[in-house]
Amino acid sequence: MCDRVIPYLFILPFLISFVALFLGPALYALVLSFFRYAGYGKATWVGLNNYVVMLDYDVFWIEMRNVVFYWIAHAIPMVILAFGLAVLVNSRLVTRKNFFKPIIFIPQVVASVAAALLFQNFFGTKYGILNNLLGTQIPWLTDMDLARWAVVIVLVWRGTGYWFVICLAGLTTISTEIMEAAVVDGASAWQRLTRITIPLMRKTFLFIFVVDAIVTLRLFAEPNVLAGKPGTLAPVEMAPVINLVVENVRNAQFGLAAATGWLLFIAIAVVSWLQFRIFRVRGEER
Amino acid sequence: MRHSRRYRDEYTAKQIAATFGLVLACLLFLYPMALMAINSFKSDAEMYMNPAGLPRAWTLESYGKIFKYHGGLWWNYVNSVVIAASSTVLAVFLCALAAFAFAKYRFRGRNLIFSLLLATMMVPPEIVIPGLYVLFAKLQWINTLRAQILPTITPVLGLFLIRQYMLDIPDSLLEAARLDGAGHFTVFWRVMVPTSAPILGAFAILHFMSVWNAYTWPVLVATKADVQPIMVILPQLVDPVIGFLPVWGTIMAGCVLSTLPLLIVFVAFQDKFMSSVVIGAVKE
Repeated sequence: MCDRVIPYLFILPFLISFVALFLGPALYALVLSFFRYAGYGKATWVGLNNYVVMLDYDVFWIEMRNVVFYWIAHAIPMVILAFGLAVLVNSRLVTRKNFFKPIIFIPQVVASVAAALLFQNFFGTKYGILNNLLGTQIPWLTDMDLARWAVVIVLVWRGTGYWFVICLAGLTTISTEIMEAAVVDGASAWQRLTRITIPLMRKTFLFIFVVDAIVTLRLFAEPNVLAGKPGTLAPVEMAPVINLVVENVRNAQFGLAAATGWLLFIAIAVVSWLQFRIFRVRGEER
Repeated sequence: MRHSRRYRDEYTAKQIAATFGLVLACLLFLYPMALMAINSFKSDAEMYMNPAGLPRAWTLESYGKIFKYHGGLWWNYVNSVVIAASSTVLAVFLCALAAFAFAKYRFRGRNLIFSLLLATMMVPPEIVIPGLYVLFAKLQWINTLRAQILPTITPVLGLFLIRQYMLDIPDSLLEAARLDGAGHFTVFWRVMVPTSAPILGAFAILHFMSVWNAYTWPVLVATKADVQPIMVILPQLVDPVIGFLPVWGTIMAGCVLSTLPLLIVFVAFQDKFMSSVVIGAVKE
């Protein structure tokens, strides 16, 4: 009799904390998203108004566009770089694999905030490293069209090592028999890469793109640290969507902040659903 | 003979090209980190005149300033350590406890609860920000360390990874302990925890890193300098006299110090570190 309670005692500490600190507040945020609430006094029911306001707000769409830009602009070169480096490290041509692997990974150890500060210093207009080396005064971080690319560079620099390790893991699962058979059939290294390795890695690439999309939708530190003045957030033209959550909380517009959060959830759900669909379709193909 | 020699030459050429490509890439990855390290040995003043080159005068001035700035940035460093360490201990303990029950007991609602928990992994953590903020404001927890620790102590990913690992631990091991008269908690503490040490360690690294690097939530709930972690205060460092100018030497010293703990762990356990950081990506 007593034994039946035991497993519940083991899961209870986790469950209680989870409900109190995640599930509860998340559902509370869902409720809040239908109210106008300033953190004190009475909350006013506004129905879907917060969502309508947000979807009508041009800043929301600008910041959404920014995030989609960051995603596409950094994911493509990053995957190519990560995969290319993984192929090189994995190839028979390179002998010191254990020397290169940690070096490619190492930027991942630097925190996003530190990485962004590093590049803020690097791309500074007046006292920046790059302008100092070039002898120019290019406004890398104040011209928004350039500054968005600076964010992309930080994301690629810090993120490549992570996906490199994942690509490397994927490459080692490709059976050596297939490769040997291809060699016997006279396939060149390039043919083996484009006809065997890349098709077999397609699932990994897709996985990276999707996971990276979700991570990028939640982006916050890099653009804000890079383009914000000390203590402020980035200007709208390069700000990520999470800024709307943060700003509305700061302005005590909790209903609007909550609605933004749930809109973000919908966006992520759509991406995840697409991923699921694509993976299933590919699974059936085989 | 000639043929094989030409083949060998070609092979060597390719080998050199491949290694050259990799070395070039490594230099690009290392360059910003080298800049960070080198610039931390310049004074704030020199950073304005000479941001790119080697220091004209190597100095520990910036490191000295980090410890004095804002009445002591070392305090923010301590905050970061306290937040990340206590969150990691709590998270690993809570996850391991629950994972043990999910892996080794049969009970009503087990699969339902577990799948519901897994489903919440799709929800972006930022969604709780408004709700949690209102809640913590009511409790007067804004600008406390617990407001930064508690929201991070129930990572479902950790529960999932540890349970997967524990599923593979043979039941006979638990039976043997039970026959020796061990109670449920003793079995957990003396058998499960030691045998799952590899995954507990791997997840601890992953979790510590994510809390250490956290920025969005801390920026909101830690507005007073004395409770801010290092990540929140670093981007705010400006010249104490002029005001708006960033103090680059000091900031770089802070970046080095904020990277150092993770770097040491990384250098000590390279392969383990890399596999634990990517472990989160292979959850399916």
